[in-house]
Amino acid sequence: MISNDKSISESTLPHRKNYLFMTFVIAFTDFKIKYDNSILGYLWSLLKPLLMFGTLYLVFSVFVRWDVENYRLYLLLGIILWNFFAEVTLNSMVLLEGKGAILKKINFPRWIIVISSSLTSLLTLLLNLIVFLIFFIISTSHFHLSNLFLFIYLLELYILSVGMALFLCALYPKFRDIHHIWEVFVQLGFWITPIVYPISIVSEKYHRWIFLNPAARIIQGARQALIENQGSGFLTLKNHLIVFFIAGVIFFVGFSLYNKLSGSFAEDL
Amino acid sequence: MIKVENVSKVFRLPHERKYTLRQRFVSIFQKNTYEKFHALRNVNFEVKSGQFLGIIGRNGAGKSTLLKIIAGVLQPSSGRISSDGPIAPFLELGVGFQGDLSVKDNILLYGALLGLSRQQIKDKYDWIIEFSGLERFVDAKLKNLSSGMQVRLGFSITVSVESPILLVDEVLAVGDIDFQKKCYDAFNKFKKQGRTIIFVSHDLVAIEKFCNRVILLNEGRIDKEGCSDEVLSKYISDAR
Repeated sequence: MISNDKSISESTLPHRKNYLFMTFVIAFTDFKIKYDNSILGYLWSLLKPLLMFGTLYLVFSVFVRWDVENYRLYLLLGIILWNFFAEVTLNSMVLLEGKGAILKKINFPRWIIVISSSLTSLLTLLLNLIVFLIFFIISTSHFHLSNLFLFIYLLELYILSVGMALFLCALYPKFRDIHHIWEVFVQLGFWITPIVYPISIVSEKYHRWIFLNPAARIIQGARQALIENQGSGFLTLKNHLIVFFIAGVIFFVGFSLYNKLSGSFAEDL
Repeated sequence: MIKVENVSKVFRLPHERKYTLRQRFVSIFQKNTYEKFHALRNVNFEVKSGQFLGIIGRNGAGKSTLLKIIAGVLQPSSGRISSDGPIAPFLELGVGFQGDLSVKDNILLYGALLGLSRQQIKDKYDWIIEFSGLERFVDAKLKNLSSGMQVRLGFSITVSVESPILLVDEVLAVGDIDFQKKCYDAFNKFKKQGRTIIFVSHDLVAIEKFCNRVILLNEGRIDKEGCSDEVLSKYISDAR
Protein backbone atom coordinates (compact mmCIF):
# COMPACT_ATOMS: atom_id res chain seq x y z
CA MET A 1 0.00 0.00 0.00
CA ILE A 2 1.35 3.36 -0.96
CA SER A 3 0.96 5.99 1.64
CA ASN A 4 -1.58 8.47 0.40
CA ASP A 5 -2.49 9.83 3.75
CA LYS A 6 -2.73 13.57 3.18
CA SER A 7 -1.91 14.69 6.68
CA ILE A 8 1.26 12.67 6.71
CA SER A 9 2.65 13.40 3.30
CA GLU A 10 1.96 17.11 3.77
CA SER A 11 3.79 17.26 7.05
CA THR A 12 6.98 16.24 5.30
CA LEU A 13 6.76 19.20 2.94
CA PRO A 14 8.26 22.57 3.70
CA HIS A 15 6.00 25.30 4.95
CA ARG A 16 3.09 25.66 2.63
CA LYS A 17 2.80 29.39 2.86
CA ASN A 18 6.21 29.84 1.30
CA TYR A 19 5.35 28.17 -2.01
CA LEU A 20 4.35 31.46 -3.56
CA PHE A 21 7.69 32.95 -2.59
CA MET A 22 9.45 29.87 -3.95
CA THR A 23 7.60 30.30 -7.25
CA PHE A 24 8.66 33.93 -7.52
CA VAL A 25 12.26 33.21 -6.65
CA ILE A 26 12.55 30.45 -9.27
CA ALA A 27 10.99 32.75 -11.87
CA PHE A 28 13.24 35.63 -10.85
CA THR A 29 16.48 33.65 -10.89
CA ASP A 30 15.57 31.87 -14.12
CA PHE A 31 14.94 35.24 -15.67
CA LYS A 32 18.29 36.52 -14.44
CA ILE A 33 20.17 33.54 -15.82
CA LYS A 34 18.40 33.75 -19.15
CA TYR A 35 19.22 37.38 -19.70
CA ASP A 36 22.55 37.21 -17.98
CA ASN A 37 21.83 40.17 -15.73
CA SER A 38 21.80 42.58 -18.63
CA ILE A 39 19.11 44.91 -19.84
CA LEU A 40 20.41 44.45 -23.37
CA GLY A 41 19.78 40.74 -23.19
CA TYR A 42 16.22 41.40 -22.26
CA LEU A 43 15.70 44.01 -24.95
CA TRP A 44 16.89 41.43 -27.41
CA SER A 45 14.08 39.09 -26.41
CA LEU A 46 11.63 41.93 -26.93
CA LEU A 47 13.07 42.50 -30.37
CA LYS A 48 12.12 39.02 -31.49
CA PRO A 49 8.37 39.59 -31.78
CA LEU A 50 9.03 43.03 -33.23
CA LEU A 51 11.30 41.66 -35.94
CA MET A 52 8.74 39.01 -36.69
CA PHE A 53 6.13 41.72 -36.86
CA GLY A 54 8.30 43.86 -39.11
CA THR A 55 8.92 41.04 -41.56
CA LEU A 56 5.31 39.93 -41.76
CA TYR A 57 4.15 43.52 -42.00
CA LEU A 58 6.47 44.13 -44.92
CA VAL A 59 5.29 41.02 -46.75
CA PHE A 60 1.58 41.35 -46.11
CA SER A 61 1.20 45.09 -46.19
CA VAL A 62 3.58 46.09 -48.92
CA PHE A 63 4.07 43.01 -51.13
CA VAL A 64 0.64 41.50 -50.67
CA ARG A 65 -2.10 43.80 -49.55
CA TRP A 66 -4.80 42.53 -47.26
CA ASP A 67 -7.85 44.64 -47.02
CA VAL A 68 -7.71 45.11 -43.26
CA GLU A 69 -8.17 48.35 -41.42
CA ASN A 70 -5.46 49.08 -38.87
CA TYR A 71 -3.50 46.09 -40.11
CA ARG A 72 -0.48 47.13 -38.03
CA LEU A 73 -2.37 46.81 -34.76
CA TYR A 74 -4.21 43.74 -36.03
CA LEU A 75 -0.98 41.91 -36.79
CA LEU A 76 0.98 43.07 -33.76
CA LEU A 77 -1.67 42.04 -31.27
CA GLY A 78 -2.05 38.64 -32.91
CA ILE A 79 1.68 37.99 -32.80
CA ILE A 80 2.06 39.14 -29.20
CA LEU A 81 -0.75 36.93 -27.92
CA TRP A 82 0.32 33.89 -29.93
CA ASN A 83 3.93 34.35 -28.82
CA PHE A 84 2.84 34.23 -25.22
CA PHE A 85 1.08 30.93 -25.78
CA ALA A 86 4.11 29.53 -27.63
CA GLU A 87 6.57 30.75 -25.02
CA VAL A 88 4.73 29.43 -21.97
CA THR A 89 4.23 25.99 -23.46
CA LEU A 90 7.75 25.63 -24.85
CA ASN A 91 9.75 27.27 -22.06
CA SER A 92 8.08 25.33 -19.27
CA MET A 93 9.54 22.12 -20.73
CA VAL A 94 12.97 23.73 -20.90
CA LEU A 95 12.73 24.86 -17.29
CA LEU A 96 11.58 21.40 -16.21
CA GLU A 97 14.63 19.87 -17.85
CA GLY A 98 16.89 22.50 -16.29
CA LYS A 99 15.53 21.89 -12.81
CA GLY A 100 15.85 18.11 -13.07
CA ALA A 101 18.64 17.96 -10.49
CA ILE A 102 16.54 19.82 -7.94
CA LEU A 103 13.44 17.74 -8.58
CA LYS A 104 15.49 14.63 -7.87
CA LYS A 105 16.63 15.88 -4.49
CA ILE A 106 14.11 18.25 -3.02
CA ASN A 107 10.47 17.61 -2.39
CA PHE A 108 8.25 20.54 -3.31
CA PRO A 109 5.02 20.72 -5.29
CA ARG A 110 5.89 20.14 -8.91
CA TRP A 111 3.45 22.71 -10.27
CA ILE A 112 5.82 25.43 -9.02
CA ILE A 113 8.07 24.82 -12.02
CA VAL A 114 5.32 25.43 -14.58
CA ILE A 115 3.92 28.46 -12.78
CA SER A 116 7.39 30.01 -12.43
CA SER A 117 8.00 29.58 -16.11
CA SER A 118 4.65 31.17 -16.94
CA LEU A 119 5.51 34.19 -14.78
CA THR A 120 8.61 34.91 -16.84
CA SER A 121 6.57 34.77 -20.02
CA LEU A 122 3.90 36.93 -18.44
CA LEU A 123 6.48 39.65 -17.87
CA THR A 124 7.50 39.49 -21.53
CA LEU A 125 3.83 39.69 -22.50
CA LEU A 126 3.28 42.80 -20.40
CA LEU A 127 6.31 44.54 -21.90
CA ASN A 128 5.16 43.56 -25.36
CA LEU A 129 1.76 45.02 -24.60
CA ILE A 130 3.43 48.31 -23.70
CA VAL A 131 4.96 48.33 -27.17
CA PHE A 132 1.50 47.64 -28.52
CA LEU A 133 0.15 50.53 -26.46
CA ILE A 134 2.63 52.87 -28.12
CA PHE A 135 1.49 51.74 -31.57
CA PHE A 136 -2.08 52.05 -30.36
CA ILE A 137 -1.61 55.67 -29.35
CA ILE A 138 0.24 56.54 -32.56
CA SER A 139 -2.61 55.11 -34.60
CA THR A 140 -5.79 57.08 -34.44
CA SER A 141 -7.52 54.69 -32.11
CA HIS A 142 -9.31 56.01 -29.06
CA PHE A 143 -9.70 54.44 -25.68
CA HIS A 144 -13.00 52.72 -25.04
CA LEU A 145 -14.62 51.05 -22.11
CA SER A 146 -14.74 47.84 -24.15
CA ASN A 147 -10.92 47.88 -24.22
CA LEU A 148 -11.09 46.43 -20.74
CA PHE A 149 -12.32 43.16 -22.23
CA LEU A 150 -8.67 42.56 -23.09
CA PHE A 151 -8.00 41.57 -19.50
CA ILE A 152 -10.63 38.86 -19.61
CA TYR A 153 -9.04 37.52 -22.78
CA LEU A 154 -5.62 37.63 -21.17
CA LEU A 155 -6.97 35.60 -18.26
CA GLU A 156 -8.42 33.07 -20.68
CA LEU A 157 -5.17 32.94 -22.59
CA TYR A 158 -3.24 32.37 -19.37
CA ILE A 159 -5.46 29.47 -18.29
CA LEU A 160 -5.20 27.94 -21.73
CA SER A 161 -1.42 28.31 -21.93
CA VAL A 162 -0.72 27.01 -18.44
CA GLY A 163 -3.10 24.10 -18.98
CA MET A 164 -1.32 23.12 -22.17
CA ALA A 165 2.08 23.59 -20.49
CA LEU A 166 1.04 21.28 -17.64
CA PHE A 167 -0.09 18.67 -20.14
CA LEU A 168 3.17 18.82 -22.10
CA CYS A 169 5.38 18.89 -19.01
CA ALA A 170 3.59 15.87 -17.59
CA LEU A 171 4.59 13.85 -20.64
CA TYR A 172 7.99 15.43 -21.16
CA PRO A 173 10.14 13.24 -18.87
CA LYS A 174 8.90 10.09 -20.61
CA PHE A 175 8.83 11.47 -24.14
CA ARG A 176 11.61 13.98 -24.59
CA ASP A 177 10.90 14.62 -28.24
CA ILE A 178 7.52 16.09 -27.37
CA HIS A 179 9.35 19.41 -27.23
CA HIS A 180 10.30 19.18 -30.90
CA ILE A 181 6.90 17.86 -31.87
CA TRP A 182 5.21 20.73 -30.06
CA GLU A 183 7.49 23.24 -31.80
CA VAL A 184 6.07 22.03 -35.11
CA PHE A 185 2.54 22.28 -33.78
CA VAL A 186 3.18 25.84 -32.63
CA GLN A 187 4.30 26.73 -36.16
CA LEU A 188 1.27 25.03 -37.61
CA GLY A 189 -0.99 26.77 -35.12
CA PHE A 190 0.49 30.12 -36.06
CA TRP A 191 -0.75 29.69 -39.61
CA ILE A 192 -4.11 28.03 -39.04
CA THR A 193 -5.01 30.74 -36.54
CA PRO A 194 -5.97 34.04 -38.17
CA ILE A 195 -2.94 35.94 -36.94
CA VAL A 196 -1.40 37.23 -40.14
CA TYR A 197 -4.40 37.10 -42.44
CA PRO A 198 -7.93 38.39 -41.93
CA ILE A 199 -10.52 35.74 -41.25
CA SER A 200 -12.59 37.15 -44.14
CA ILE A 201 -10.29 35.60 -46.73
CA VAL A 202 -11.08 32.13 -45.44
CA SER A 203 -14.14 30.45 -46.88
CA GLU A 204 -17.08 30.51 -44.45
CA LYS A 205 -17.33 26.74 -44.27
CA TYR A 206 -13.96 26.49 -42.51
CA HIS A 207 -14.75 29.07 -39.86
CA ARG A 208 -16.30 26.63 -37.43
CA TRP A 209 -13.14 24.52 -37.55
CA ILE A 210 -10.84 27.48 -37.15
CA PHE A 211 -12.77 28.70 -34.14
CA LEU A 212 -12.60 25.35 -32.43
CA ASN A 213 -9.16 26.63 -31.53
CA PRO A 214 -9.65 28.72 -28.38
CA ALA A 215 -6.55 30.76 -29.21
CA ALA A 216 -8.24 31.95 -32.41
CA ARG A 217 -11.27 33.08 -30.42
CA ILE A 218 -9.09 34.83 -27.85
CA ILE A 219 -7.09 36.67 -30.48
CA GLN A 220 -10.14 37.71 -32.49
CA GLY A 221 -11.89 38.80 -29.31
CA ALA A 222 -8.94 40.84 -28.10
CA ARG A 223 -8.79 42.55 -31.48
CA GLN A 224 -12.44 43.42 -31.37
CA ALA A 225 -11.98 44.83 -27.88
CA LEU A 226 -9.02 47.00 -28.83
CA ILE A 227 -9.10 47.86 -32.49
CA GLU A 228 -11.83 49.80 -34.19
CA ASN A 229 -13.78 48.17 -36.96
CA GLN A 230 -12.24 44.84 -36.17
CA GLY A 231 -14.19 41.63 -35.95
CA SER A 232 -17.68 41.17 -34.71
CA GLY A 233 -19.51 38.75 -32.51
CA PHE A 234 -16.56 38.01 -30.24
CA LEU A 235 -17.41 40.22 -27.31
CA THR A 236 -20.41 38.11 -26.45
CA LEU A 237 -20.98 36.11 -23.33
CA LYS A 238 -21.30 33.05 -25.55
CA ASN A 239 -17.78 33.47 -26.87
CA HIS A 240 -16.37 33.85 -23.37
CA LEU A 241 -18.24 30.77 -22.21
CA ILE A 242 -16.92 28.70 -25.10
CA VAL A 243 -13.34 29.85 -24.52
CA PHE A 244 -13.54 29.36 -20.77
CA PHE A 245 -15.00 25.92 -21.32
CA ILE A 246 -12.31 24.72 -23.75
CA ALA A 247 -9.47 26.35 -21.82
CA GLY A 248 -10.91 24.94 -18.59
CA VAL A 249 -11.07 21.43 -19.99
CA ILE A 250 -7.48 21.65 -21.25
CA PHE A 251 -6.36 23.03 -17.89
CA PHE A 252 -8.20 20.32 -16.00
CA VAL A 253 -6.81 17.50 -18.15
CA GLY A 254 -3.30 18.98 -18.02
CA PHE A 255 -3.44 19.52 -14.29
CA SER A 256 -4.73 16.02 -13.51
CA LEU A 257 -2.19 14.37 -15.76
CA TYR A 258 0.60 16.48 -14.30
CA ASN A 259 -0.45 15.63 -10.77
CA LYS A 260 -0.57 11.97 -11.62
CA LEU A 261 2.74 11.72 -13.44
CA SER A 262 4.82 14.24 -11.50
CA GLY A 263 5.21 11.74 -8.66
CA SER A 264 7.70 9.83 -10.76
CA PHE A 265 9.55 12.85 -12.16
CA ALA A 266 12.43 12.14 -9.79
CA GLU A 267 12.93 8.76 -11.44
CA ASP A 268 12.41 9.78 -15.05
CA LEU A 269 14.22 13.06 -15.39
CA MET B 1 9.67 11.21 15.22
CA ILE B 2 9.94 9.42 11.93
CA LYS B 3 8.36 6.05 11.38
CA VAL B 4 9.32 3.87 8.45
CA GLU B 5 6.96 0.94 8.04
CA ASN B 6 7.53 -1.94 5.64
CA VAL B 7 9.05 0.27 3.02
CA SER B 8 10.10 -1.41 -0.20
CA LYS B 9 11.31 0.17 -3.38
CA VAL B 10 11.58 -1.63 -6.66
CA PHE B 11 13.18 0.12 -9.59
CA ARG B 12 12.41 -1.14 -13.05
CA LEU B 13 15.58 -0.74 -14.99
CA PRO B 14 14.82 -1.16 -18.68
CA HIS B 15 17.50 -2.85 -20.73
CA GLU B 16 17.09 -0.11 -23.20
CA ARG B 17 15.68 3.08 -21.86
CA LYS B 18 13.27 4.85 -24.17
CA TYR B 19 13.13 8.57 -23.75
CA THR B 20 11.31 9.64 -26.87
CA LEU B 21 8.17 8.93 -28.80
CA ARG B 22 10.31 8.09 -31.80
CA GLN B 23 12.14 5.34 -29.92
CA ARG B 24 8.84 3.94 -28.73
CA PHE B 25 7.37 4.08 -32.18
CA VAL B 26 10.34 2.40 -33.82
CA SER B 27 10.32 -0.42 -31.31
CA ILE B 28 6.57 -0.78 -31.20
CA PHE B 29 6.62 -4.54 -31.70
CA GLN B 30 9.60 -5.15 -29.51
CA LYS B 31 9.02 -6.44 -26.08
CA ASN B 32 9.91 -4.10 -23.28
CA THR B 33 12.45 -5.95 -21.23
CA TYR B 34 13.66 -4.73 -17.92
CA GLU B 35 15.46 -5.79 -14.83
CA LYS B 36 13.79 -5.48 -11.48
CA PHE B 37 16.04 -4.01 -8.89
CA HIS B 38 15.02 -4.25 -5.27
CA ALA B 39 16.65 -1.21 -3.73
CA LEU B 40 14.81 -1.62 -0.43
CA ARG B 41 13.05 -4.67 0.98
CA ASN B 42 10.68 -4.32 3.89
CA VAL B 43 12.57 -1.75 5.85
CA ASN B 44 11.16 -0.98 9.29
CA PHE B 45 12.50 1.40 11.86
CA GLU B 46 11.63 4.34 13.99
CA VAL B 47 13.61 7.41 14.89
CA LYS B 48 12.54 9.15 18.06
CA SER B 49 12.73 12.89 18.45
CA GLY B 50 16.18 14.05 19.37
CA GLN B 51 17.86 10.92 18.10
CA PHE B 52 20.83 10.87 15.84
CA LEU B 53 20.51 7.90 13.52
CA GLY B 54 23.38 6.80 11.30
CA ILE B 55 22.89 4.70 8.20
CA ILE B 56 25.85 2.80 6.83
CA GLY B 57 26.32 0.15 4.19
CA ARG B 58 28.15 -0.63 0.99
CA ASN B 59 27.58 1.21 -2.24
CA GLY B 60 24.21 0.23 -3.66
CA ALA B 61 22.87 -0.96 -0.33
CA GLY B 62 19.95 1.45 -0.61
CA LYS B 63 21.05 4.23 1.73
CA SER B 64 20.39 7.13 -0.58
CA THR B 65 17.15 5.60 -1.86
CA LEU B 66 15.95 5.32 1.70
CA LEU B 67 16.82 8.92 2.40
CA LYS B 68 15.08 10.10 -0.77
CA ILE B 69 11.94 8.20 0.19
CA ILE B 70 11.96 9.74 3.66
CA ALA B 71 12.42 13.16 2.07
CA GLY B 72 9.41 12.49 -0.15
CA VAL B 73 11.27 12.81 -3.43
CA LEU B 74 10.74 9.16 -4.36
CA GLN B 75 7.53 7.28 -3.75
CA PRO B 76 7.92 3.90 -2.04
CA SER B 77 6.67 0.88 -4.01
CA SER B 78 4.99 -0.28 -0.86
CA GLY B 79 4.93 0.68 2.79
CA ARG B 80 4.64 4.07 4.37
CA ILE B 81 6.56 6.84 6.03
CA SER B 82 5.19 9.09 8.68
CA SER B 83 6.70 11.95 10.58
CA ASP B 84 5.46 14.49 13.05
CA GLY B 85 7.29 17.51 11.75
CA PRO B 86 8.60 19.10 8.59
CA ILE B 87 11.69 17.43 7.22
CA ALA B 88 14.44 19.64 5.87
CA PRO B 89 14.21 18.46 2.31
CA PHE B 90 17.81 18.34 1.28
CA LEU B 91 19.93 15.41 0.38
CA GLU B 92 22.98 16.81 -1.19
CA LEU B 93 24.73 20.08 -0.72
CA GLY B 94 24.23 22.78 -3.26
CA VAL B 95 21.78 20.87 -5.38
CA GLY B 96 19.82 23.92 -6.46
CA PHE B 97 22.86 26.04 -7.09
CA GLN B 98 23.19 27.92 -10.35
CA GLY B 99 26.72 28.70 -11.41
CA ASP B 100 25.64 31.76 -13.33
CA LEU B 101 24.14 33.48 -10.33
CA SER B 102 25.96 35.41 -7.65
CA VAL B 103 26.49 33.97 -4.19
CA LYS B 104 23.80 36.31 -2.93
CA ASP B 105 21.22 35.13 -5.43
CA ASN B 106 22.12 31.53 -4.78
CA ILE B 107 21.39 31.99 -1.10
CA LEU B 108 18.01 33.37 -2.07
CA LEU B 109 17.30 30.50 -4.48
CA TYR B 110 18.52 27.69 -2.30
CA GLY B 111 16.83 29.11 0.78
CA ALA B 112 13.54 29.39 -1.09
CA LEU B 113 13.86 25.83 -2.38
CA LEU B 114 14.36 24.63 1.17
CA GLY B 115 11.10 26.31 2.13
CA LEU B 116 12.34 29.45 3.84
CA SER B 117 10.38 32.67 3.61
CA ARG B 118 11.84 35.96 2.45
CA GLN B 119 12.06 37.21 6.03
CA GLN B 120 13.79 34.04 7.22
CA ILE B 121 16.38 34.31 4.46
CA LYS B 122 16.94 37.96 5.31
CA ASP B 123 17.46 37.10 8.97
CA LYS B 124 19.85 34.28 8.20
CA TYR B 125 21.77 35.98 5.43
CA ASP B 126 24.60 37.49 7.47
CA TRP B 127 25.01 34.34 9.49
CA ILE B 128 25.25 32.20 6.32
CA ILE B 129 27.88 34.46 4.79
CA GLU B 130 29.90 34.46 7.96
CA PHE B 131 29.62 30.73 8.58
CA SER B 132 30.68 29.89 5.05
CA GLY B 133 33.48 32.47 5.20
CA LEU B 134 32.56 33.98 1.85
CA GLU B 135 32.35 37.63 2.91
CA ARG B 136 34.55 38.77 0.04
CA PHE B 137 32.72 36.85 -2.66
CA VAL B 138 29.11 37.87 -2.11
CA ASP B 139 28.72 39.32 -5.59
CA ALA B 140 30.92 36.82 -7.42
CA LYS B 141 29.33 34.29 -9.68
CA LEU B 142 29.21 30.93 -8.03
CA LYS B 143 30.93 29.14 -10.89
CA ASN B 144 34.05 31.19 -10.24
CA LEU B 145 34.32 29.86 -6.70
CA SER B 146 36.24 26.73 -5.80
CA SER B 147 34.27 23.54 -5.26
CA GLY B 148 35.15 23.62 -1.58
CA MET B 149 33.68 27.10 -1.21
CA GLN B 150 30.49 25.99 -2.97
CA VAL B 151 30.07 23.08 -0.62
CA ARG B 152 30.64 25.34 2.36
CA LEU B 153 27.95 27.66 1.13
CA GLY B 154 25.56 24.76 0.61
CA PHE B 155 26.19 23.43 4.07
CA SER B 156 25.79 26.84 5.67
CA ILE B 157 22.42 27.44 4.07
CA THR B 158 21.20 23.97 4.93
CA VAL B 159 22.29 24.27 8.52
CA SER B 160 20.49 27.58 8.85
CA VAL B 161 17.15 25.90 8.17
CA GLU B 162 15.74 25.36 11.60
CA SER B 163 13.86 22.24 10.70
CA PRO B 164 13.38 19.79 13.57
CA ILE B 165 14.26 16.88 11.29
CA LEU B 166 17.34 16.87 9.10
CA LEU B 167 18.45 14.35 6.51
CA VAL B 168 22.15 14.44 5.82
CA ASP B 169 23.73 12.56 2.92
CA GLU B 170 27.53 12.36 2.75
CA VAL B 171 28.44 15.92 3.48
CA LEU B 172 31.54 15.56 5.55
CA ALA B 173 33.57 13.97 2.80
CA VAL B 174 34.34 17.39 1.42
CA GLY B 175 35.79 20.48 3.00
CA ASP B 176 39.06 21.08 4.75
CA ILE B 177 39.84 20.41 8.39
CA ASP B 178 38.59 23.77 9.59
CA PHE B 179 35.33 23.31 7.84
CA GLN B 180 34.89 19.79 9.11
CA LYS B 181 35.35 21.09 12.59
CA LYS B 182 32.66 23.66 11.94
CA CYS B 183 30.36 20.88 10.78
CA TYR B 184 31.05 18.84 13.90
CA ASP B 185 30.32 21.86 16.06
CA ALA B 186 27.08 22.40 14.20
CA PHE B 187 26.11 18.78 14.72
CA ASN B 188 26.86 19.02 18.40
CA LYS B 189 24.66 22.06 18.58
CA PHE B 190 21.81 20.23 16.85
CA LYS B 191 22.18 17.42 19.31
CA LYS B 192 21.87 19.79 22.20
CA GLN B 193 18.84 21.42 20.62
CA GLY B 194 17.20 18.02 20.42
CA ARG B 195 16.78 17.91 16.66
CA THR B 196 16.29 14.60 14.93
CA ILE B 197 18.90 13.73 12.36
CA ILE B 198 19.33 10.88 9.92
CA PHE B 199 22.86 10.75 8.75
CA VAL B 200 24.19 8.70 5.84
CA SER B 201 27.94 8.48 5.65
CA HIS B 202 30.97 6.37 4.94
CA ASP B 203 32.85 8.37 7.53
CA LEU B 204 32.81 5.83 10.32
CA VAL B 205 34.59 8.12 12.76
CA ALA B 206 31.84 10.70 12.46
CA ILE B 207 29.17 8.01 12.73
CA GLU B 208 30.72 6.72 15.92
CA LYS B 209 31.09 10.18 17.33
CA PHE B 210 27.55 11.42 16.80
CA CYS B 211 25.08 8.64 16.34
CA ASN B 212 23.13 7.09 19.18
CA ARG B 213 21.91 4.41 16.85
CA VAL B 214 23.18 2.97 13.64
CA ILE B 215 21.48 0.92 10.96
CA LEU B 216 23.51 -1.26 8.64
CA LEU B 217 21.88 -1.77 5.27
CA ASN B 218 22.79 -4.66 3.05
CA GLU B 219 21.14 -5.23 -0.32
CA GLY B 220 18.09 -3.27 0.73
CA ARG B 221 17.57 -5.04 4.03
CA ILE B 222 18.41 -3.97 7.54
CA ASP B 223 21.31 -6.20 8.41
CA LYS B 224 21.87 -4.95 11.89
CA GLU B 225 20.47 -2.22 14.05
CA GLY B 226 21.67 -1.03 17.40
CA CYS B 227 24.16 1.14 19.22
CA SER B 228 27.03 2.37 17.12
CA ASP B 229 29.87 0.14 18.44
CA GLU B 230 28.10 -3.13 17.70
CA VAL B 231 26.92 -2.19 14.24
CA LEU B 232 30.19 -0.63 13.22
CA SER B 233 32.19 -3.62 14.35
CA LYS B 234 29.91 -5.93 12.36
CA TYR B 235 30.26 -3.72 9.28
CA ILE B 236 34.02 -3.71 9.62
CA SER B 237 34.30 -7.43 10.26
CA ASP B 238 32.01 -8.18 7.29
CA ALA B 239 34.36 -6.29 5.06
CA ARG B 240 37.25 -8.51 6.02
